[in-house]
Amino acid sequence: MIEVKHVSKEFVSPKKYPGLKGAVKGLFSNEKVVKKAVDDISFSIADGEIVGYIGSNGAGKSTTIKMMTGILKPTQGQCLINGIDPSRARKDNAQNIGVVFGQRTQLWWDLPLSESFTILKEVYNVSDEEYEERMKFLNEVLGLPEFFSSPVRTLSLGQRMRADLGAALLHNPKVLYLDEPTIGLDLVVKDNIRKAIKIINEKYQTTVILTTHDIGDIEELCSRIIIIDEGKKIYDGSLEELKDTYGTRRKVSMEVKKQEKLKGLNLAEKLGASHEECRMEFDEENKILSVTFDKHKLQVPQVMNAVMEVTEVKDIQIQETELAEIVKEIYNHGIDGKAV
Amino acid sequence: MRNTAKRYVRLYKVLIGQFFKVVLQSKVDFLMGLFGFFLSQFMGIAFLYLVFEQIPSLQGWTLDQLIFIYGFAQIPRGIDHLLTDNIWMVAWRIVLNGNFDRYMLRPMNIFFQVISEKLQPDALGELLVGSILVIRCLMKGIVVVDGIHIVLFFVSILAGAVIYTAIKLFFASLAFWLKISGPFLQVAYEMANFAKYPTEIYAKGIRFIITWIIPFAFVAYLPASYFLGVGGAFGFGGNGGVVAIECIIAAVFWIVAYALFQKGTSIYESAGN
Repeated sequence: MIEVKHVSKEFVSPKKYPGLKGAVKGLFSNEKVVKKAVDDISFSIADGEIVGYIGSNGAGKSTTIKMMTGILKPTQGQCLINGIDPSRARKDNAQNIGVVFGQRTQLWWDLPLSESFTILKEVYNVSDEEYEERMKFLNEVLGLPEFFSSPVRTLSLGQRMRADLGAALLHNPKVLYLDEPTIGLDLVVKDNIRKAIKIINEKYQTTVILTTHDIGDIEELCSRIIIIDEGKKIYDGSLEELKDTYGTRRKVSMEVKKQEKLKGLNLAEKLGASHEECRMEFDEENKILSVTFDKHKLQVPQVMNAVMEVTEVKDIQIQETELAEIVKEIYNHGIDGKAV
Repeated sequence: MRNTAKRYVRLYKVLIGQFFKVVLQSKVDFLMGLFGFFLSQFMGIAFLYLVFEQIPSLQGWTLDQLIFIYGFAQIPRGIDHLLTDNIWMVAWRIVLNGNFDRYMLRPMNIFFQVISEKLQPDALGELLVGSILVIRCLMKGIVVVDGIHIVLFFVSILAGAVIYTAIKLFFASLAFWLKISGPFLQVAYEMANFAKYPTEIYAKGIRFIITWIIPFAFVAYLPASYFLGVGGAFGFGGNGGVVAIECIIAAVFWIVAYALFQKGTSIYESAGN
C-alpha cells in the first residue's frame, strides 16, 4: 500500500538576472525564486497495481518518484510506502523497493554484469537460495544469460535496460518504480520489457509505478493512470474512463470521387451542430475528406449520408480518438478545457 | 550492533574488491599514479635537504627533527587519502550531476557508500615515504621511545586521519548547498601542507588558523614535537596532553562534519533528467 498525502516539493534558487551585468547583480542580491515542482499531490495505490504516472516534461513526475523513493524530502506532506516514510527511514524503505531510471544505470559500469548482481546480493542481504530462485526467474523473463559476463558499458541499450530491471528485482521488492523504462528502445525490445513487467507483476504481486511518455506502455500495462501537470494532479482513474470521458471525438475519412462537388458544403450547419462539434478537413492530393465530430452529438451514418448526398464515396475509414491525442490535448489545455 | 558492523565489513570487502577489479583492468594507470606520487614525495624531501644545506637549523629545529615532523605528517594524511578519497567526488561532481541518487536508493549508510567506492593507491606513496622517514629517525635515536609514547603515536595517527576526513567531509558537504564545493575543499586541504613544518616559521595569522581554525598543526607538527620530546608552539607538545587535545578536536570535528553531511543529504535536490 502506497499513500501519498498532500505532498509538495519546492526548489529554492537564487534569482538570476540576464547578461554579465545581471550576473554581477545576482552576486549581491539576496532574492530567491521558489519553484513549486510538486503541488499538494495525494493518491494511494493498492498492492499489485500497475499505475502509469504521466505528464509532460517538467510536470513533476520524476520529483514525485524521487520523493517516494527517498531521494528527495518533501517540503510538505508525507509519503508512506507500506507504512514506511522514506524521508525518515530511508534504509528500511530502500530494502523494500526497486528503482529503474531509464536514463541512468544503477549498475557497475566497468564490470561484467555478473559482478553487479554479486554486489547487489550482498547489498540487499539476499540468501543463496533466494538468489538462485530469483536468478532462475529473471534469466527466464529477461534473458540475462546472453550477456551476463559482458561489461555493462558494452551492453546495448535494450540489454542494459533488461539488466537494470533484473538488478532492481533481485531482492524481490514489494514496489517497483520505473522512470521511463522504455525510452529509446526499439519496438521489439519495448515489447519484451513490457511483457517482463507484466509477468513480474502477476507472479509476485509487485506494485509497479511507471512514468513514461510512451502511450504504448500505458495501454499495455496500466490499469490506472495518474496525470499531473505543472505539479498538480489533474486526473486519476482508469484508462477506459479517461477514454470515455475525454475521447469523445471520432474521425471519419472518406475518399471522394469528385472533389468539386464538396465546395460549399458545410456539414456542421447541415447537421445542426456547432463548428467545434463537427470539423471538416480536405486533403486535395489524395481526395480525402476527414470529418472529426463529437460522438455524443452525431452518428457516423448521419455524417456519411450527408456527404454521400453530394458526391460518391470510394472508401471509408472510421477512427476512435487515440489515447495519445487525448493526452496531448490534456497537456495543452489542462483537464478543464474539455475540447477533446 | 555487532551484526551491523559485521555486515558493513563484509560489504566493504565486496565493494572495494570490485574497485580493484576495475583498477587492475588498467595497470598502467595504477602504476603511473604510484610512480608520480613517489616522485612528488621525494621532491619534497629533496627540497628540505637543499634548504638545510644552507641553514643547518630552523628556529632551533635540526634537519633530522624536521624530517621526522615531515615524515610523521605523511602518515595520517596517507591513511585518510587511501580510504576516503571519494569524498572529493562529492565536492566536485556527484551532487551536481545527480549521481548521488544511487546512494540514496541503497539500504546502506550513505557515508559508507561514498568511501567504499574507491581506494586511492597514490596514498601508498605517502604512507611508504612517511614510514621510511619515521623509521629512519627512530634508528637515529632522536625520537622518544617508551610505552606511553608508542601508544600515543598510534592514537595520534588515528585521530589525525579522522581530522583530515572530517575537514574533507565538512567542505564537501557544502556541495549540497552550492552544488560544487571543490574549490573550498581544495583550499582547506592545501592548508595541511603548512603543518609539515614547525608552525613557528609562519606569521602569527597563519599559525593561528592552522592551529585553531583548520587545526592541521594538531595532526602533524604538535604531536610530532611531543614524540621528539620537544615543547612546541603555545607550550603544547611538551607532554601527552597534546594528543588528548588532538583526540577531542577529532571527535568534535567529526561530529560537526557528519551532522552537516546528514543535513546536506536531507536537502539534496538531485538533478533533472
